[in-house]
Amino acid sequence: MTSDEQTRGVAPPALDLTDGAKVATVNSTDLETIIATEDMNVYYGDFRAVRDVTMNFTDNEITALIGPSGCGKSTVLRALNRMNDLIPTARVTGAVIYHGRNIYEANVDPVEIRRRIGMVFQKPNPFPKSIFDNVAWGAKINGFKGSKSDLSDLVERALSKAALWDEVKDKLNESGYSLSGGQQQRLCIARAVAPSPDILLMDEPCSALDPIATLRIEELMLELKQDYTIIIVTHNMQQAARVSDKTAFLSVDVNDIGQRTGRLVEYAPTDRIFTSPENDETEQYITGRFG
Amino acid sequence: MADQRSHFHSELDALESSILGIAERADHIVGTAVDALVNADVQMAAAVSREGAALAEVYVEAHTRWLNLMALQQPMGSDLRMMSALLHLNVTLERTAAQCVNIAELARLARGLPTSDRIIRRIEEMADLVRPMIRTAVHAFQRRDPDEARLLPAMDEPVDEINRAMYREVVDCAPDERLIEWATHMMMAARALERIGDQAVDIGEQVVFLISGEYHGFSDEGITGRS
Repeated sequence: MTSDEQTRGVAPPALDLTDGAKVATVNSTDLETIIATEDMNVYYGDFRAVRDVTMNFTDNEITALIGPSGCGKSTVLRALNRMNDLIPTARVTGAVIYHGRNIYEANVDPVEIRRRIGMVFQKPNPFPKSIFDNVAWGAKINGFKGSKSDLSDLVERALSKAALWDEVKDKLNESGYSLSGGQQQRLCIARAVAPSPDILLMDEPCSALDPIATLRIEELMLELKQDYTIIIVTHNMQQAARVSDKTAFLSVDVNDIGQRTGRLVEYAPTDRIFTSPENDETEQYITGRFG
Repeated sequence: MADQRSHFHSELDALESSILGIAERADHIVGTAVDALVNADVQMAAAVSREGAALAEVYVEAHTRWLNLMALQQPMGSDLRMMSALLHLNVTLERTAAQCVNIAELARLARGLPTSDRIIRRIEEMADLVRPMIRTAVHAFQRRDPDEARLLPAMDEPVDEINRAMYREVVDCAPDERLIEWATHMMMAARALERIGDQAVDIGEQVVFLISGEYHGFSDEGITGRS
């Protein structure tokens, strides 16, 4: 595959992402691009945090974003579901193509985008509600019209997908805070999958967890990729190597006044990145010869 | 450029030196083993066996260090390729040393039997061909020079030819049963030397892998991919 083919995928079919669009999911088993960035730049005010990122993400694969602090990994991730919209000075140029549509077009509903492209954060952040309500929340705010039994089924399915059901099925009314850190993170994953997204974005999801809980989440990711596309930011190269199919290495340029702008250096199958990367910068980073 | 893993890289360099040190000693004992063989010198053969045992200890020690580095440092990129190549080299060189011990054992078995000057010359010729191969392989590895490594298949060709012709030489020793017995030992020694040549070629293949990240087996015609 040429680098051009690697970075520019085939445009998937268009979906209606406007406000009030009918809920639909795409869980194709064909390996095709589900979301892609084209010359994407992210600014905070006048400061350009990330420049010219062009890459595609393949359906039902796990893609890891790695790189040194300040290289814009999390900024790229948050741009994929318009999470940066919540920062007043943030703006994005270029395009993020999702199901054939640029998600930054004026009439695209960011709430619908975030429903289809869920997010799991670094620190487990359950709501101060019961385990059941944590998971049912997404369905409820999306106007879930089913019966109470249907809602219970949805919660059970989501908790099962997050490999948490067996541990919490007898205490669904207890607070989400009563769970361990690893369980809380899996609860957050259940909350993210409950609205039937296509894509899960994970921003260092294991950095606050102990090694056992970390391995549990990593195993869960490998199961979840059967149904979802996963994009993970991680500081842990071994984690990227263990779980991901493809890895993107981002680096950072520092200008005369100390501003740091991230850029995509190399994007390739994970085994290639960690055994024989093409780019010298990648090689220096993964072997520790940098700085 | 700062090295954020200087401790690990120092250990990796030291491991490489240790393993390549086996190669230098292996080159030397190829000569000693063949001298012991053609002169039926059992004392020299015993020295080869002792050196072989010493190299086996170096091999075990290097393997332990390799395993620890792999488990504790989790190398990646060119460091990972170096680790892979060193594991291969360590095993290959241990086998080279073991072939020398086999030749020394044949020297003991051949003692007191009649000999053939013609066959002795062929064995010495093989030793003269394979020892530079070991040195070339090690030099190519040290210099990270795939072009030098690619010289090895051509250097190996005459070794293979002599080995293939050795069967005819042994048959020609008939009907002298004691000479046939001696010549059979020489045929096994020729086989050991031929293997040592192949092992040098294996090291050359590792040099190419180390640089390119792709494994290629050398063939007589050049390089053919089999990865």
